[in-house]
Amino acid sequence: MASQGSEEIAEQTEEAEATHDGDCLSISPAEEMPADGPGDGEPEQLLLPWDRFSAWLHCICVVGFDLELGQAVEVIYPHHSKLTEKEKMSICYLSFPDSNSGCLGDTQFCFRFRQAAGRKSSLGCFLDHFDRDAPVCLKRDQGHFYGYVYFRQVRDKTLKRGYFQKSLVLISKLPYVTFFHSLLKLIAPEYFEKQEPCLEAACNDIDRWPTPYPGKILSLPIMGVVMKLRIPTCYDKPGTSQLVQSTSSDSLVSVVLPTIHEVDLFRCFYPVFFHIQMLWELVLLGEALVVMAPSPAESSDTVLALVSCIAPLRYCSDFRPYFTIHDSEFKEYTTRTQAPPSVILGVTNPFFAKTLQHWPHIIRIGDMKQTEMAKQMKVKKLKNLKTLDSKPGVYTAYKPFLNKDDDIIKQLQKGVQQKRPSEAQNAILRRYFLELTQSFIIPLERYVASLMPLQKSISAWKSPPHLKPFVQEEFMKTLEKAGPQLTSRLKGDWIGLYRQFLKSPNFDGWFRNRRKEMIQKLEALHLEALCEEDLQQRIQKHTEVETVDLVLKLKDKLTQAEREKLPVGAGTLAKLQTHIDSIILSLPEDLQGILHKPATP
Amino acid sequence: MKKASGISSEPSAFIMSVLPPVRKDRIISQLPKCFSKGAALHTEDGFHAKVKTACQEQRTGTVGFKISKVIVVGDLAVGKTCLINRFCKDVFDKNYKATIGVDFEMERFEVLGVPFSLQLWDTAGQERFKCIASTYYRGAQAIIIVFDLTDVASLHHTRQWLEDAMKENDPTNVLLFLVGTKKDLISPAQYSANVQDAINVAQEMKAEYWAVSSLSGENVKEFFFRVASLTFEANVLAELEKSNSRRIGDVVKISNTTSNLYATSKKKQPNCCQ
Repeated sequence: MASQGSEEIAEQTEEAEATHDGDCLSISPAEEMPADGPGDGEPEQLLLPWDRFSAWLHCICVVGFDLELGQAVEVIYPHHSKLTEKEKMSICYLSFPDSNSGCLGDTQFCFRFRQAAGRKSSLGCFLDHFDRDAPVCLKRDQGHFYGYVYFRQVRDKTLKRGYFQKSLVLISKLPYVTFFHSLLKLIAPEYFEKQEPCLEAACNDIDRWPTPYPGKILSLPIMGVVMKLRIPTCYDKPGTSQLVQSTSSDSLVSVVLPTIHEVDLFRCFYPVFFHIQMLWELVLLGEALVVMAPSPAESSDTVLALVSCIAPLRYCSDFRPYFTIHDSEFKEYTTRTQAPPSVILGVTNPFFAKTLQHWPHIIRIGDMKQTEMAKQMKVKKLKNLKTLDSKPGVYTAYKPFLNKDDDIIKQLQKGVQQKRPSEAQNAILRRYFLELTQSFIIPLERYVASLMPLQKSISAWKSPPHLKPFVQEEFMKTLEKAGPQLTSRLKGDWIGLYRQFLKSPNFDGWFRNRRKEMIQKLEALHLEALCEEDLQQRIQKHTEVETVDLVLKLKDKLTQAEREKLPVGAGTLAKLQTHIDSIILSLPEDLQGILHKPATP
Repeated sequence: MKKASGISSEPSAFIMSVLPPVRKDRIISQLPKCFSKGAALHTEDGFHAKVKTACQEQRTGTVGFKISKVIVVGDLAVGKTCLINRFCKDVFDKNYKATIGVDFEMERFEVLGVPFSLQLWDTAGQERFKCIASTYYRGAQAIIIVFDLTDVASLHHTRQWLEDAMKENDPTNVLLFLVGTKKDLISPAQYSANVQDAINVAQEMKAEYWAVSSLSGENVKEFFFRVASLTFEANVLAELEKSNSRRIGDVVKISNTTSNLYATSKKKQPNCCQ
């Protein structure tokens, strides 16, 4: 949504909402899409076996513990999935808890690791475009894989080690954390009981799923139930859910997921909730941040909560919900010879308390099961973090730019006293972050929109005009009149916050994306202008050579528009094709033959 | 002076979730007849009067339960997948392809003007997948037990299939259908010689008997319409009863978690077939 945050889109979304009385769309169970769904014009029937599976998952791994080898990937399913040795190694270490935290019973957590260099995506074009309409934070992760883990550790006297320890791990490029955890809850317990046929059946189920198109209500049959969900689009009004369960009577048959990616912010931030606003700043600015937690579940939840608290902005630096000393980036990230990198790490191994002692911001989370409220209001000094049993809290010397918002803290505290349900607390906190981020980003959106050239400067016979450059001081000047003070009552050094933000990877990522969209829009407008021209009349004044040149250029434009899926109006491309065809027809026959050949991309 | 808008005019996301109407050939306005009066779930001529009135008065809106899970079980290669494919896709593939784990189809109907869907879970007949089958059996409202009319052993195995499927379900809420397939492969004389055996089995398990051919399509549509109609009828009746008792008690009990629901249904494990 960040990329679309200008006023016009906001109006557009509101209009769409208004027609539905701003209501959530509820679907009754009978209104299910057939598993194949209408293809949206996409040639779904052309998909090969495992294509559908690959749209959701890279593979499923089983990681066990071998007394001689240590952790090992026991099974990879489907068997043809490729993982490099390095990737397998990462999966092995990241799928097990790395501290003596116990974790008896079943635990779920997630990790993220770099994909090996030089990996080719065999499905390239097919997978590139289906998430075009997804919000930036829900797009496929290009350089990383996510691992979603269901770990079981139970006493078993029949085993030499005395314990059964195994993880079922879903490897995917999709950041749908809540969805994959729900999926694992359905598959993993069955798998631990019934072994490989269960995996085979689950994969077969998944390979029959519709592709994960944003905006459609998807029905996904798995293990005897149908999961129903909707992947949000970047056109949705942020903070609204489109899918609610209308009846609970069919809960044995269907599971409706109200969200596919949102974590419970309140639960995750509970141990440090006096500092949420400062944490928001630290994440926004891409500061080096480490979360030290007692278990992988807590570390990964907290890291994901941090990353998502600046939504709809995308957190552009690396983040590792669960990071171990075996990680291939361990040296790179912990070196003392350079300043700590702009990353967020979640760790559980006590060893990190020493290794990362020099990091500027450390969040220490206690055991979340102990429902003790964060008592310490004060930020702690880093030098106090020496021993393993340091108390929960935030350890930093950072001075926030914005003044502290006591209202939200009071509101949440009141909720705790009144035993307000966690979901309600979460909704309050989520809305708070959303408003804060939007107040911050709207002035930037507005300024960037002003970099777009005027409509009249677009001419069919000139190349598309360039965007104006982003000039920091010019932007700062706009803040006087149209700054965040329009939408936020928070006082403080907003200017300082912007200055710092403009230097951060998050700004860089946001601006690149915004710029790309605007350039594509210019190309599209240019293309539309071309279509409106009377090309026949134009070529009469030109030589044959120039006409051929025009045909080739138009063909280029057409392929570009199709390849990049430019946001052109309906029918524009067909119109352009007609233009091309009729120009070719006006040429001598021998030339016609050559030009009619399909363009080679 | 108009600024070039940076925004594309995309269709609203909301339109996409509006469903296409139910296919014309999936509209049921009368209760289809049973196949054999000797082994039918009931032999009434039409839908239950209460159901008809409820649908007319659109009181099913409060029912809010318009989806049923149907599982299809039976021996290896008796033609479970073919049966479903004939009905759902109107195709017949002569090549045999074993089902891995489970296949799934969703079929939408309109019964007495009310939208109604069947989730069809087509389970694997292979021994290898038997261990996982129970996962897929849960919460079924109709069980279709399939055997091969040309293979007597497959008829005998239906009792075992039923027993396995019932372990996960509440016998008072499940409708049973016993279906003989490959009718085209058997001569009329052979058929009439064997039919009584099948009817006996059906009576014993309180199932409705059907004989079909997925190759020719004989009785396939009729059979699934019957399944849809009877599950729909049972559904509406059950819901009407529930809302009646609610009205009397004047208290609506809300069960708070799905896991509780599951726990109670598990306790009432049936033992009818043992």
